Amino acid sequence: MPAILEVENLVKKYGDFEAVKGISFSVEEGEVFGLLGPNGAGKTQTISMLTGVVPSTTGTARIGGHDIHKEMDQVKKINGLVPQDLALYPTLSARANLSFFGRIYGLRGRELKERVEDVLRVVALTERADQVVDKFSGGMKRRVNIAAGLVHQPRLLFLDEPTVGVDPQSRNHIFESVQRLNRERGMSVVYTSHYMEEVELLCNRAAIIDEGRIIAMDTIKNLIAMLGGGVVYVGVNQVDENILSELSALPAVKEATLVPQPPAPPAPEGKESTTESKPVTASPVVKIVAKQNQQAVVNVLGYLNQHDIVITSLEIMQPNLESVFLHLTGKKLRE
Amino acid sequence: MKTISITIKDLQILFKDRGTLFQLFILPLLFILVFSGALNAIGQAEVVVLPSLAVVDLDGSEAAGSLVSKIEADGSLSVQTYPASDAQAQLDENKVVGILTIPSGFTAGIQQSTPVSLLLTNGTSADPQIVEALRLLLESITADMTLESQIIASLKQMGDMQANAPEGQQVFTTERILAQARGQFETAQIRPLINVLQSVPQQGSDQEATPDLSLSAVPGFTVLFVFLAAQTTARSIYEEKKIGSFRRLVAAPLSKTELLVGKILPNFITGLVQIAVIFAFGSLGLRLLGLTPLPIEKAPLGIILVAVLLALCSSAFGIAIAAIARTENQISGISTLLMWGMGLLGGSLIPLFILERFLGPIPMIVPHYWANRALDNLLIRGLSLADISLDLVVLLGFSLLFFVIGLWRFDFER
Repeated sequence: MPAILEVENLVKKYGDFEAVKGISFSVEEGEVFGLLGPNGAGKTQTISMLTGVVPSTTGTARIGGHDIHKEMDQVKKINGLVPQDLALYPTLSARANLSFFGRIYGLRGRELKERVEDVLRVVALTERADQVVDKFSGGMKRRVNIAAGLVHQPRLLFLDEPTVGVDPQSRNHIFESVQRLNRERGMSVVYTSHYMEEVELLCNRAAIIDEGRIIAMDTIKNLIAMLGGGVVYVGVNQVDENILSELSALPAVKEATLVPQPPAPPAPEGKESTTESKPVTASPVVKIVAKQNQQAVVNVLGYLNQHDIVITSLEIMQPNLESVFLHLTGKKLRE
Repeated sequence: MKTISITIKDLQILFKDRGTLFQLFILPLLFILVFSGALNAIGQAEVVVLPSLAVVDLDGSEAAGSLVSKIEADGSLSVQTYPASDAQAQLDENKVVGILTIPSGFTAGIQQSTPVSLLLTNGTSADPQIVEALRLLLESITADMTLESQIIASLKQMGDMQANAPEGQQVFTTERILAQARGQFETAQIRPLINVLQSVPQQGSDQEATPDLSLSAVPGFTVLFVFLAAQTTARSIYEEKKIGSFRRLVAAPLSKTELLVGKILPNFITGLVQIAVIFAFGSLGLRLLGLTPLPIEKAPLGIILVAVLLALCSSAFGIAIAAIARTENQISGISTLLMWGMGLLGGSLIPLFILERFLGPIPMIVPHYWANRALDNLLIRGLSLADISLDLVVLLGFSLLFFVIGLWRFDFER
């Protein structure tokens, strides 16, 4: 598959502050690519540079073969942007909003009408099309927001945190819409989120971004596999280098390291946490990267009992993008 | 076409906003109604006060006194005699409609049948109808005095001739006396013994014509509210940025110029509609309400040109505010302080001829002044399009200045 988007060492500076620090990645035609990272990681800034909202300080990118610096007019016709904000006119109807954004992309007459009807069907809002957006629920507004980015049939759609503040039902609608657009129309999607389960569900590949840098990029499967069987955080009353090396040598344990304080357990929205947790204490915490989580827990607890080491807390994290991010940065995605 | 799409969308949003519509179209009419009504009442109250005429009597003898008495006897003027310098001060302060100067030698001239001239100096701020009435009154009185003087002189001459004739000889027949009287009357008509010379200070001097106060309310509030509409542009841009749609527009295949022009045009169109509505009310509405109507028929082309430049200047000002103000509070602050302040300084709330008396040239620093001046000159003073060319050029200059500031400071990224 040819790449629809190739990003090379993109940098965005505001004075001395570097919001994006040399990002490079590519997205293949027909791919759903995730940009996963916490708020302020640089996801929106990256999208803003790729859609021509802000110029990059250095670096470049090609979209559909067009350079974003030299051929932005062509690039803008290929791109569709669904901003994080509800970028709609609240006193106008859904249809009036969509017609306006269609006209801005040069659509007129019958073609415009057909495109508006089409995107209303995609987001399942045909029956409410003539109501003013202000009267819609948060989820419905989000769907109109997405439709406004689709009305001109972009080849590459940038979805910037499209499910923020959305109820589960509307979220599912949005997921289905994105999957259908990708599957049936071959639309390429760059999907940014700080919800790891959304990226896991929708994306083929993802880049994990933090403090303006990509810290990992691969298929979702390979990213999760970085953690093997998962991660266990064990609070203990005493620990030294000898204990750490003996723990690392246990069967089913990949690596044991000392961390200053265990992080609070993650609680992903809309999904049951698989985490067991104990109260956080000020005692030392050992991070166990497991090859196989359950077996590793049994072996580690057995070792600690055997050596009369008191367990003050225990946290078991299943392997997912959240734990990958935590593993890589020591921070939660929603910090 | 994309620019037009933005314009149509903004107008759709505007016409759904009742609060803004009230401020743009209803509030100015209410202001005009109240101010015109009040000022009209003041104007009507002034009618019952007799206009005053200052007399400078440099002759000081019998005929001069007789002239003053005849003017007073007419009852249409209040006459007061002043020294020359005091009379000028009275005129400068608009306390009198004019100065009648009776030259020295006036009485002697009349007695010797030598033509003499009275000088009537009226102020530029005097009501032209009163000045004209005054001139006609003086001409009528002096014509009577001329005739009286010449007939008396003629009769005296005939009496002398009769006295010198041989006894029993009839020098003047009835026919000859009548012919002599007729001749004197014609001479008095053709070569009046007393002339009235009228002196009007040059236009453009420090004295300005005093406009009808009730008329000045309409252009004043038009200018004020058209400029207040500039905040609609600023708010619209701020709202677009706040909700994120501005980002969406910047990401669309649309040049920055198309985008900004699209944001300016609604205010420009709204400004023109505002002016049309206010002027229609000023002309028809005030007439129906029995108030002094705005004479828009006096200079339709000039009004259209001022309207276009006024709407343009307001739109450009809106972009400048959007570029400078960072928050909604700043937009409100600028709108309240700057625009009402500029309106006050520029003669929208207090007529320019009053403001200029105590502020001198300071009002010239705001565009409101030039727009108000142009409209006052066209509608109240009845001046021509050529006479307001400077006002139009300055308004255009302000528009360009605001555009440059707007484009220079406008942040497309934020």
